[in-house]
Amino acid sequence: MSGMLYGGDEIGALVFDPGHHSLRVGYAQEDTPKAEIPAVVGVAPDDTPKIEPEVKAEDGNVSSTAPAWKYYIDTTFLHTPRPSMELHSYMKDGMIENWDLFEKMVDYSYDKIIQSESQYHPILFSECPWNLRQKREKLTEIMFEKYKVPAFFLVKNAALAAFANGRATALVIDSGATHTSAVPVLDGYVITNAVVKSPLGGDYLILKAREMLEHIGIDLTPAALIASKEVVRDKDKPKYTKKKLPFQPTNSWMAYMIKRTVQDFQQSVIQVSESPFDERIAAGFPTVQHEFPTGYRQDFGPERFKLAEVLFDHAMLGAGHIAATSAGMCDVDIRPALYSSVVLTGGNSLVQGFSDRLSRDLSSRTPGSLRLKMIAANGTVERRFGAWVGGSILASIGTFQQMWMSMQEYQEAGKAQIDRKCP
Amino acid sequence: MADVRDIMELEHPSQEVTRESIIGSDKQKKRPPPPTKTQKRPEGMHREVFALLYNDSKDVSPLFPSDTGHGYKQTKIKLGMRKPRKWKWMQFTNPARTDGTIFYHWRRPSDEPKEYPFAKFNKKVDVVTYTDAEYQQHLRVDGWSKEETDHMIELAQRFDLRFILMADRYDTEKFPKRSVEDIKDRYYKICGVMSKLKGEKKIYTYDVDHEKRRKEQLKKLYDRTQEQIEEEQFLMLELKKIEARKKERERKTQDLQKLISQADNQTETPKKADKKIPKKKLANPSRPSRVDTTHIFQVVETAGIKFPDYKNSGVSLRSQRMKLPANVGQKKSKGIEQLLQEMGLELNPIPTEEICQHFNELRSDMVLLMEIKSALSTCEYELQSLRHQYEAVNPGRTLTIPPQLLSNLELDNKVGGGEIIDVVGSPSTPTS
Repeated sequence: MSGMLYGGDEIGALVFDPGHHSLRVGYAQEDTPKAEIPAVVGVAPDDTPKIEPEVKAEDGNVSSTAPAWKYYIDTTFLHTPRPSMELHSYMKDGMIENWDLFEKMVDYSYDKIIQSESQYHPILFSECPWNLRQKREKLTEIMFEKYKVPAFFLVKNAALAAFANGRATALVIDSGATHTSAVPVLDGYVITNAVVKSPLGGDYLILKAREMLEHIGIDLTPAALIASKEVVRDKDKPKYTKKKLPFQPTNSWMAYMIKRTVQDFQQSVIQVSESPFDERIAAGFPTVQHEFPTGYRQDFGPERFKLAEVLFDHAMLGAGHIAATSAGMCDVDIRPALYSSVVLTGGNSLVQGFSDRLSRDLSSRTPGSLRLKMIAANGTVERRFGAWVGGSILASIGTFQQMWMSMQEYQEAGKAQIDRKCP
Repeated sequence: MADVRDIMELEHPSQEVTRESIIGSDKQKKRPPPPTKTQKRPEGMHREVFALLYNDSKDVSPLFPSDTGHGYKQTKIKLGMRKPRKWKWMQFTNPARTDGTIFYHWRRPSDEPKEYPFAKFNKKVDVVTYTDAEYQQHLRVDGWSKEETDHMIELAQRFDLRFILMADRYDTEKFPKRSVEDIKDRYYKICGVMSKLKGEKKIYTYDVDHEKRRKEQLKKLYDRTQEQIEEEQFLMLELKKIEARKKERERKTQDLQKLISQADNQTETPKKADKKIPKKKLANPSRPSRVDTTHIFQVVETAGIKFPDYKNSGVSLRSQRMKLPANVGQKKSKGIEQLLQEMGLELNPIPTEEICQHFNELRSDMVLLMEIKSALSTCEYELQSLRHQYEAVNPGRTLTIPPQLLSNLELDNKVGGGEIIDVVGSPSTPTS
């Protein structure tokens, strides 16, 4: 039995951590996911001629009337412009919305990433803390009925992020793509009534950055459409030639690609100032140069801080405020424990200066007699894949192996018991 | 290693660990050299010349290095002489599971198949249970239906009595919202009733009101604003200051008490006698009624200067007896010096037997005088400040201090402390 020494027992489980930005997939007991797949699926009509007309005949009139669709998943397929390929996200509000597309993602994961068959691997899924009962049951049903997994488990991603940081009780601040949430976790259970979330996440920051960049007239043509470019001086008009495409890329594809372009800008340029934004202080910081895919270059100064301020300057929606509100909704007896381990996770928390500002905001709201301790993993991988890493740890612990909801249990008691098995 | 073994008096290992036993001998064991015929020294040949030809091992002495083979080259270690034990992807069942699902993990087939090692950690909290009849008979309470109680007990089992989570996951659609305290109250009441039914002696009760009050207070404590916290800290600091001042005052009055009692004592008893009595008294602390007096005796000893008795064996200079002990502070010794100069006395008189004794007593009295004077001035100050306080509290009225309480310090100074010495009753200043 491997790893017995540390209380681990690996049983070949898989961990899936779906998010708005990406789906993280990998084996439990590994320290990083095998793959991070963007959480959008490209759908285009399948116009390749059918190789086997016999199969088509068997289907009868159903397939002849319905157009066949082709699905494009993962970065390399998505980033190529294709005629009338529309991009769809299967997530909504932290939950899985479009089950058909999601199944395509799972198919792809098993086929290309895991490269093994689903019936051999127990599977652990993460979910958002406000997931609905019917969605949990639906996911359970799909995994058991369609993929025939031997065992299944569903854990709230906040609890997993707390585990990844070595805590069972924590106030988890998860700043992701679409929202930032503060979730109290007690002994590995989420206190659902005290979850506070705000719609200020990475996407909002990207939207604001895009508005700003378009306002100052920067060409945001994505790299995928550029055939060649020349080196130009700072702030000079970019000289580049576009790829010659026989078709017009769809709007959704363009929007997605521009978002990626702006995301690059956001990751390398934007910074959160340590104290509330002040033009004069921000002007004192060194400027950062950024080159866009068109070859255009510019130095960015105070804008860097002004943009990031949207994440904090809302009185009611700033990360510090929602954390304090969430802790305030919990029982007084556990508040000291929550404040003494505030776990920061999520890809958006990697915006430069985010953790410093948050800890400043939060300490001004912490009751005087309590000790505040922020736990923010240093590595980008640990921060972005916090929930996945937690799932990887959990699914490979020896004492956890009794918790799985097995196929047998599913067949006996049905999908409804997921609520009891996975609190 | 052998040395260590010798020191530790351990037995020598039966088999010596050598390079060969680890690495494995790369050659077959050397055959013992065939017994060579012992060469006999020919007649007439010198012994030294013969030794050059035939040394002890009966080999010709080397003319050039012959060990050219491996030299310093490292020999490859041949580890893992045994066959490796195998790992296998094997199925197992977990007795902590009720459904007997089969999982797979890596294990050595050579290991004995035993119970899943993590199953023993499957600990469950004992949650109280009841039957329908028991509920109908004993557990019916207004405001709690049977269904709700069942739901509560089920939650208790699911969350192992984590009441905060039970309150969080409470089914508020079917039942009214309950606070943590409500749930705890109900649960512990049921526990109490059930254990009474079982005939247990000790019944624990849960005080809801106390819990609610405690949490309310805790909440208030946490909800304080920064200003309130600062104000509290400021007040605490002030309180500390006041207490320190009070202590200081108490200490001063105690000092005064000391000096008064000392003065009284010295008038009554001759000095030499009381030096010895208190020691005996002190040595007998089992009499609490005497505490006060011993305290006073102690005071007598500490005031003034206590010259050590020279009872050392061997010879010593008499002038040593006049040396001030080390515990006399600089301030005091300066004061003594000044007084001696005022009186026109020598700082170091000739140490005859008599002069020694008198000089020491004189200086001791001087110190006492200084202490009494300083105590007097503090009293004076205290008196004045009390008068000011009194006048501040009762404006328009003046406190007349009886003249016997007012000091005549100026008068004392003129006489040069002579009167006080008289009061103390020590021998008059020695003539030098």
